[in-house]
Amino acid sequence: MRVCCGLTAHLELARRPDLYGIPVIVGRWDEHVVAASEEAQASGVLPGMALRQAEHLCPQATFVLPDEEAVVRIRELVSAALYDLAPIVEVRDEGIAWLDLSGVMKPGESIRAARHRLLKAIGREPRLGLAPGPFSARIAASRARPGRLLRIADAREFLAPLPSRELPLDAEQQERLDLLGLRTLGAVAAMGPRELESQLGHEGRHAVLLARGLEPDPLEAWRPPLFTSAHRQFGEPVGDREALLFVARALCGDLADELGLRGAGAKHVRVRLVFESTESDQRETIVRHPLSSTAELFGLVGSWIKEWKPRAPIAELWIELPVLEGAGRRQLRLWAGGDGSSDEVIAAMERLQERFGDDVVWKLPLSIHGEVAPPHSWGGGAQRRRGRAGGELA
Amino acid sequence: MQAQKLEVAIDSIRVRFGSQALTRAAEMPPPQPWLSETAVDHLTGIGGLPRGRLALFTGSGTSGKLTLALALLAGATREFAHALVIDGGGFDPLALTSFSPELGALTVVRAPAPEIAGEAAATLARAGAGFLLLTCEIPEHWLGPLESGANRSGTVIVGVIDTPSRALAHASSFSLGFSRRDWIWERGLLVGLRTSARCVKNRVAPPLGETELEIRYPLGTRPLTDYPQLVTEKPIHAGELESCASAVV
Repeated sequence: MRVCCGLTAHLELARRPDLYGIPVIVGRWDEHVVAASEEAQASGVLPGMALRQAEHLCPQATFVLPDEEAVVRIRELVSAALYDLAPIVEVRDEGIAWLDLSGVMKPGESIRAARHRLLKAIGREPRLGLAPGPFSARIAASRARPGRLLRIADAREFLAPLPSRELPLDAEQQERLDLLGLRTLGAVAAMGPRELESQLGHEGRHAVLLARGLEPDPLEAWRPPLFTSAHRQFGEPVGDREALLFVARALCGDLADELGLRGAGAKHVRVRLVFESTESDQRETIVRHPLSSTAELFGLVGSWIKEWKPRAPIAELWIELPVLEGAGRRQLRLWAGGDGSSDEVIAAMERLQERFGDDVVWKLPLSIHGEVAPPHSWGGGAQRRRGRAGGELA
Repeated sequence: MQAQKLEVAIDSIRVRFGSQALTRAAEMPPPQPWLSETAVDHLTGIGGLPRGRLALFTGSGTSGKLTLALALLAGATREFAHALVIDGGGFDPLALTSFSPELGALTVVRAPAPEIAGEAAATLARAGAGFLLLTCEIPEHWLGPLESGANRSGTVIVGVIDTPSRALAHASSFSLGFSRRDWIWERGLLVGLRTSARCVKNRVAPPLGETELEIRYPLGTRPLTDYPQLVTEKPIHAGELESCASAVV
């Protein structure tokens, strides 16, 4: 396991890049400090302390109210930006981004790309650490210079001289560690997990494993949301169909880019036209194969818009993809001649079935081993396996 | 005088509707070949079966034409997203299994009436099916849509018909006539047949002569008396078919 950790400012601070460089404290009055900038931390302010105490320590700081929704948005943005760089990506509000680079062919390129994308998303150079697990990678990143990578080969050896305050324990547990004389991670690692468990409970055992570099906490992979949409608001309401088609194509392009990034396809497509009077008209469908490219999306959306007769000029156009799924399943046979017109052929077969009955078109039933089923299944009557063209008969 | 008038008419059409409006057959590019990797490729003159055209295999029963067509069909299922059989009755999918087809790509259209066969063939060719195997006659009025649809999409169409109608023979761009020379017996068992495939029509390249094919049945066949009905079209492995193709006479 090789984990890269990118350490940036807390995401509460990242939403106010205009305040970079000055002491900033994020928190609500009469509550605890949620985040503090490096400049504020230099005055002794730490996340978790009472805001009154923080104000006393750093009176010149700018105080900002937390905005949980904005933080979630930024976290999703950063996660989406890093999603294609590693199989597992986890981003936390504290400004920690982990990438599990196990199995990645060119980890160096992924780390470089992660640095650039974090810089673009947060606005500050991240500190980077590469270590066998998330805990040691985070500690390594915290000791790297901004924009630089600290690479760790042996986690236990690296962690041994570091203070035990790096462990995720509360103040009371830290104090007990001090009383036990366990002031470095090396000292904690030398303890038996059961011994420390008897002192600190389950957290004690966990702390020993962390100090030994055994990395008991797996990363929680970020999954892209299964919904996406794109919309355009027109300055002046639009009645021209060509203009609408032009905008629809651009929106389909944006959605296709996003789907490509996620490796997803749209199973459900909805187009909504919002009129000047805020009333809306919509059309939606569930498609058989997930749509993922601009041509596929616009092929459907464009055909609707071409035949749509809106009752008033349109003020807003929405294209929503409420159900996404992996687009990879379409590539089972990779490329075969005539794939481009495959849907047309299936539609033609369905038309033939509508005209002459279901029995006209037969997909061959396959056995498990890919051979034709025994002859009796071709005999007719109740033993026949039948279905619509393109359906799952196999 | 008549030739001059024709030239003037051609020129006026080109001036009025553009240079591409009318093309001499001799100036038309040959159709793209589909490499079937069977002995037929050598007979077409373009190195494969013509895409977008109708190829016919004709001849009396037990001459090996359906066996060859099944080998082509199996190859097409591996190469195209959709390979279809327009079956007028009598197509047995089990006969195809010896050729290792990709069954997911194969669809059979049962056409109890020629009208259905015609409409199905034209519709599927226009939609862009990769390969169509016709085992029955197509009514004359469906031949035009079939030709134009196939021409547009590049569908490979192979018809296997003992004696095609005049219209179907006229619509085909490439026709092979099959006639059985003799059976091949070994140790008292029927193991194959020798057949002559002669190019009787070729509109895609200068016509070539004829080829003799030696078609061997899969090993382990039963004595002839055990399967009197199946002996006519017993399939063979595609690999054997290739190795059996002899030189053009």
